[in-house]
Amino acid sequence: MADPILSVDGVSKAFGGLMAVSEVSFSVQRGEIMGLIGPNGAGKTTLFNVVSGYYAPTRGKVVFDGKDVSGKPPYALAARGIGRTFQVVKPFPGLSVLENVVIAAFLKHPRRADAEAHAWKVLEVTGLTDRAHEAASSLTLAGRKRLEISKALALEPIFLLLDEVVAGLNPTEVDRTIELILALRARGITILIVEHIMRVIMRISDRLVVLNFGEKIAEGSPADVAANPAVIEAYLGEAHA
Amino acid sequence: MRDRRLLGSLAAFALLLALPAVVRDTFFLRVSTEAIMWIGLALTFDVLAGYTGYLNFGHSAFFGLGCYTTAILMVRAGWPFPAAAAAGGAAAAVAAVVAGLPTLRLRGAYFAIATWALARGIQQLALMMTITGGPDGMRLPPFLDPKFFYYVMLGVVGATFFLLWFLLERAPFGLKLKAIREDEQGAKALGLNPTLLKIQAFVLSAVPTAVIGGIFAYWVTFIDPASTLGDLVSDQALVMVVFGGMGTLIGPVVGAVLIFAFKTVFWAYLAEYEVLYVIILGAAIAASVVFLPNGVLGELLYRRGPRKPAASEPAAPVPATSGKAEV
Repeated sequence: MADPILSVDGVSKAFGGLMAVSEVSFSVQRGEIMGLIGPNGAGKTTLFNVVSGYYAPTRGKVVFDGKDVSGKPPYALAARGIGRTFQVVKPFPGLSVLENVVIAAFLKHPRRADAEAHAWKVLEVTGLTDRAHEAASSLTLAGRKRLEISKALALEPIFLLLDEVVAGLNPTEVDRTIELILALRARGITILIVEHIMRVIMRISDRLVVLNFGEKIAEGSPADVAANPAVIEAYLGEAHA
Repeated sequence: MRDRRLLGSLAAFALLLALPAVVRDTFFLRVSTEAIMWIGLALTFDVLAGYTGYLNFGHSAFFGLGCYTTAILMVRAGWPFPAAAAAGGAAAAVAAVVAGLPTLRLRGAYFAIATWALARGIQQLALMMTITGGPDGMRLPPFLDPKFFYYVMLGVVGATFFLLWFLLERAPFGLKLKAIREDEQGAKALGLNPTLLKIQAFVLSAVPTAVIGGIFAYWVTFIDPASTLGDLVSDQALVMVVFGGMGTLIGPVVGAVLIFAFKTVFWAYLAEYEVLYVIILGAAIAASVVFLPNGVLGELLYRRGPRKPAASEPAAPVPATSGKAEV
């Protein structure tokens, strides 16, 4: 456990009097898939927004790739190698699928021709080549989630934050997305993923962090976490613990 | 395809260059100069409105700033015209940064109101100061050479068009601005710094506007706060851009030519029905917004389904940075 790519160190995030995330600490090792789970309102997305720079932590710090990046804006973190998707997808609806991805590719390829060439490669990986010239607004939900991943990938990140990229997809699409995520890990990208569908997260994660009411209640392998009484209680209520 | 369109634009520019050699009618030359001026003002308005998604109702302030900087430097400091007009552009660049930093944090109607209020404030300032001549305005040294002004206006507007074409249609800058327009929070995650990009767009919109204002001031030889700092420039530019087609470069050109031609013809033959002009114009705009949401150009050239307006902010897990800013 010598070389974490991300260390979340005692991070709290308060909105007024509400502690959305409270004193959470964990590390993600290079090359692993770390799952972040918890019931609705547990603070998963808030934590994502802290790690990706959309919120500055109220307390604690975020260390990425050896540097303290707490409070750095999202575009600075993107430049350092963090790519993220949004739970509520954020396509640029009036632009084409290709243009959506080209914009992200500008980060590493400032010339337009190079960015376009790179965007085509990304679309091939994510399977959106056929839709490249259609408006992003014409995509189905599954397509939009793929586009979301495509844009994050076009940044050529070393670390990818995936926020519910599977939820809402049909079983075939779920399997395709899982394959894609595993393929990305095989390319050496470290992944932190939030997901509600247990079957998915248990299958692809190397380790899990469990949040409940903003606090970390468990951390470990999927099997350990599934057997943890605190986790079972959080999900199913006291009677089952 | 894109390059063919550029060739068309270059051909049109060459034709316009040759125009004074063919047409000797001074009235026509004057009308053409003003039409070209409006093309420039509509184009620069579209940089913010169409490409970046910000309706700048303070566009007239940059035009007026150019008028007054040029007039003051020429009349009170004896500067030659080119230096004075360039100084107007530089003043607008500074003003765009200063005004943009607070106002570009706002979105939608709030930005429109803030820029409108700022423009009204500047107009009041021009009315109160002595260096501007107050409500009486300023007279510039007359230089009565219609061809000179035609060429200068064409040169500046042409240079602006091709600069914008390169930056917005060829270089990455245009797509980055569109990303801001479509979803600012999403754009941040892709490494784009919205504040920096919006300020750059603001400067890009303001500088040519002020230089055009400087030419206008020297050309008409008389400026006052009502004619140069009033709402007319912003309103008319908005109408031209919406009518022609937002978010394109040809759209504002088409819109400016059509609206300006209509206005000129109307005022030439039906001047006593001036009120009617405003009514017809208003009706045309309302109709174009309803029936031609992509503008005349969008309807004629692209013929695709109506583009959805920039999506309203979803209830996304993004921070409400500063109150109104997210509306």
